Amino acid sequence: MSAISLRGIKKSYQLGENRVEALRGVSLDIGSGEFVTITGPSGSGKSTMMHILGCLDRPSEGEYLLNGRNVSSLSRDELADIRNKEVGFVFQGFNLLPRTTALENVEVPLLYTRPVMPVAERRERAMKALTAMGLADRCDHHPNQLSGGQQQRVAIARALVNEPALILADEPTGNLDTRTSVEVMRILQELRERSGITIVLITHEADIAAYGTRVIAIRDGDIVSDEANEIAAAQPVTVMPVDGG
Amino acid sequence: MGFDLPLRHSLGIAWTALARNCMQAVLAILGVTIGVGALVASLALGGGAQSALDEQLRAAGANMILVTSGNYQVKREQRMDGGPAHGWLDRGPQPWNTTQHGRVMQAVLMAPADDLLGASATPVRFILAHDESDPMAVHDHPTAAERLGDAEAGLGAAATLTQEDARAIEREIEGIEFVVSGVHENARIFADRPDGEQWYTRLHGTEADLPRVRTGWVLRQGRFLTAGDVAGSAQAMVLGRVVADRLFGPDSDPVGRTVFLWKQPFTIVGVIDSQSWATAPAAGDDQFDAVYVPVTTVARLLNVAKLNTVLVTTRSVGDTTRISGAVTKLLRARHRIAENRPDDFEVRTQAQQLLGKGLPPEVAHVVAGNMRSVDQLTIEQLSSSLTRANRTMVLLLGSVAAVSLLVGGIGVMNLLLLSVTQRTREVGLRVALGARQSDIGLQFLLEAVLLAMLGGVLGTLTGVFAVQVLQQFFRWSAVVSPGIAFVAVVVAALLGIVFGVYPARRAAALLPIDALRHE
Repeated sequence: MSAISLRGIKKSYQLGENRVEALRGVSLDIGSGEFVTITGPSGSGKSTMMHILGCLDRPSEGEYLLNGRNVSSLSRDELADIRNKEVGFVFQGFNLLPRTTALENVEVPLLYTRPVMPVAERRERAMKALTAMGLADRCDHHPNQLSGGQQQRVAIARALVNEPALILADEPTGNLDTRTSVEVMRILQELRERSGITIVLITHEADIAAYGTRVIAIRDGDIVSDEANEIAAAQPVTVMPVDGG
Repeated sequence: MGFDLPLRHSLGIAWTALARNCMQAVLAILGVTIGVGALVASLALGGGAQSALDEQLRAAGANMILVTSGNYQVKREQRMDGGPAHGWLDRGPQPWNTTQHGRVMQAVLMAPADDLLGASATPVRFILAHDESDPMAVHDHPTAAERLGDAEAGLGAAATLTQEDARAIEREIEGIEFVVSGVHENARIFADRPDGEQWYTRLHGTEADLPRVRTGWVLRQGRFLTAGDVAGSAQAMVLGRVVADRLFGPDSDPVGRTVFLWKQPFTIVGVIDSQSWATAPAAGDDQFDAVYVPVTTVARLLNVAKLNTVLVTTRSVGDTTRISGAVTKLLRARHRIAENRPDDFEVRTQAQQLLGKGLPPEVAHVVAGNMRSVDQLTIEQLSSSLTRANRTMVLLLGSVAAVSLLVGGIGVMNLLLLSVTQRTREVGLRVALGARQSDIGLQFLLEAVLLAMLGGVLGTLTGVFAVQVLQQFFRWSAVVSPGIAFVAVVVAALLGIVFGVYPARRAAALLPIDALRHE
């Protein structure tokens, strides 16, 4: 069974008087444990695709099965629960809450988990996720006291804290320098290899896309190429060095 | 919407959000503070004015209704010339054996008992009926011709008022404060020994609630009769100040000593006095030249079940007319009086009694004849128009409070809308991380309620302070109760909810992708 199965997904927006076709009938299957990178120029529909995959938006037409479940028919609350438990988001701009410690930032998804999680368990799980990202010693730092790479690692910890099967990363390296970008990509690679998490990553940089085991190119709302990346799939991941950078 | 988002965290978020717009938050809180302060002040002043009004009218006895057994009046009202009135109201003990010009009194002859019965040395009182056959004679009491037939008025036949009547009034009529039944006799009492110092006085068989009705009383010594005394028909007695002074000397403390009445020993448990130095009680005074014993004791010793009076007080002064009507209806039903028969009792309000008091009998009668209208024009009318004036004031203060609350609420809503706009991106993030619409809505609602409650608490303090100042410097009467503080805080919370709902709904309705893109 594939983790994600899209069948004839269409999405159109009304922009003023024009109707914009963001996705024109995309069909796609992503297997469990794949690291898929989606590339495409801006306006190609890759962000729309990401929103639909992340249950933040509904397709105008078509069917979306997430882990075998038809997401298109779920209520808003049910979608919220899916975002909470089954999907982890990593954003370009990190999207950490300001004036809030790293640990509390990682805790945020657990606050919305139902049934309610006891404080102690929230603390423990958030701490564990931070430790896995090598940031245990920064748990009480605020985002503005952390470097970009550290902030993105906090964000990844937040995405992982509820142990989702799918990570959606929207240009996660867009705001990072090359060295830190590599670091973040290695973390994601390692995650896939160690825990078998499915990762879908959007980027417009070819070298970042090359980290995926499968590279999909989108243009004008349609998939134009879909290739397995044998090199990345075979490449063993080196353990990420923990440094301050 | 279940509020299962951990509260502490939400409060933290709300606090942070408020702190972010510190100045605006302070202004919004100030708005609510003024509104709630005005509300507290208007409630306290309104309550104070009403209670001061009630207090004063009650002290005047305007809430009293006296039910007396028998009906002396029915035939009088049919006479065209007014006829001779009789000062039956609060007459107090009559000086025996006195006659006034051209008047024939009830005569009581004190005769040594051994002259007549040859047994006891104790004097015995005889009441001699006098001749009423002379049609020109003026009597100071209703003559047989004027009165209803005794049986008709309920006199001489079965007692017209009973303890059961009193309890029925208490039980069945709404708005009654106290019901005190009474038996009134003239009596001679002896200090310490059955043949000790003696004093003729008024004897009141009464109940424990009497001092709560007679607001002008103070207990000089000891206590008043208790419910236990009444229930057990104890031989306990409370002396009026005049009696205590006469029998035991001025300013003595007779509590614990014994008084003999009908040859029975009574223990003195207290002495009552007038609260006001201006109205020093004198001999002949019905209240202070009098002794009080449990009504049940009188019934036991004299073996009678009748009551002379039932004193009823109403909770609200404006209610006396309604309640006296209800009492009349109830007693007529209980006494099974047919439609066309006169009452065998009389129901009079204190206002009627006060108006009749101290007037020459002829005038008193005219007043009594027009009593209903006079009564209503005076105390009740006064009371209700004062109450209306007071209500107008409360309404005015209340509308000031309402407007301030509205302005405060708008301030809250304004700040919340600002907050929603500023935090759109945060809302998008939280939604992406799994927050439901209800979580987002409640978060903002909590912020509004927190804001309003801060204003509510400050407003309560401000209002109480303002009221204190008004009391202190302008002698306004006000009642500040915990209830008012509670109402104020509840109103503030409601204000937060009402004015927080719209911004909260707006936040909850944000679409996650738009919210995430928002800069």
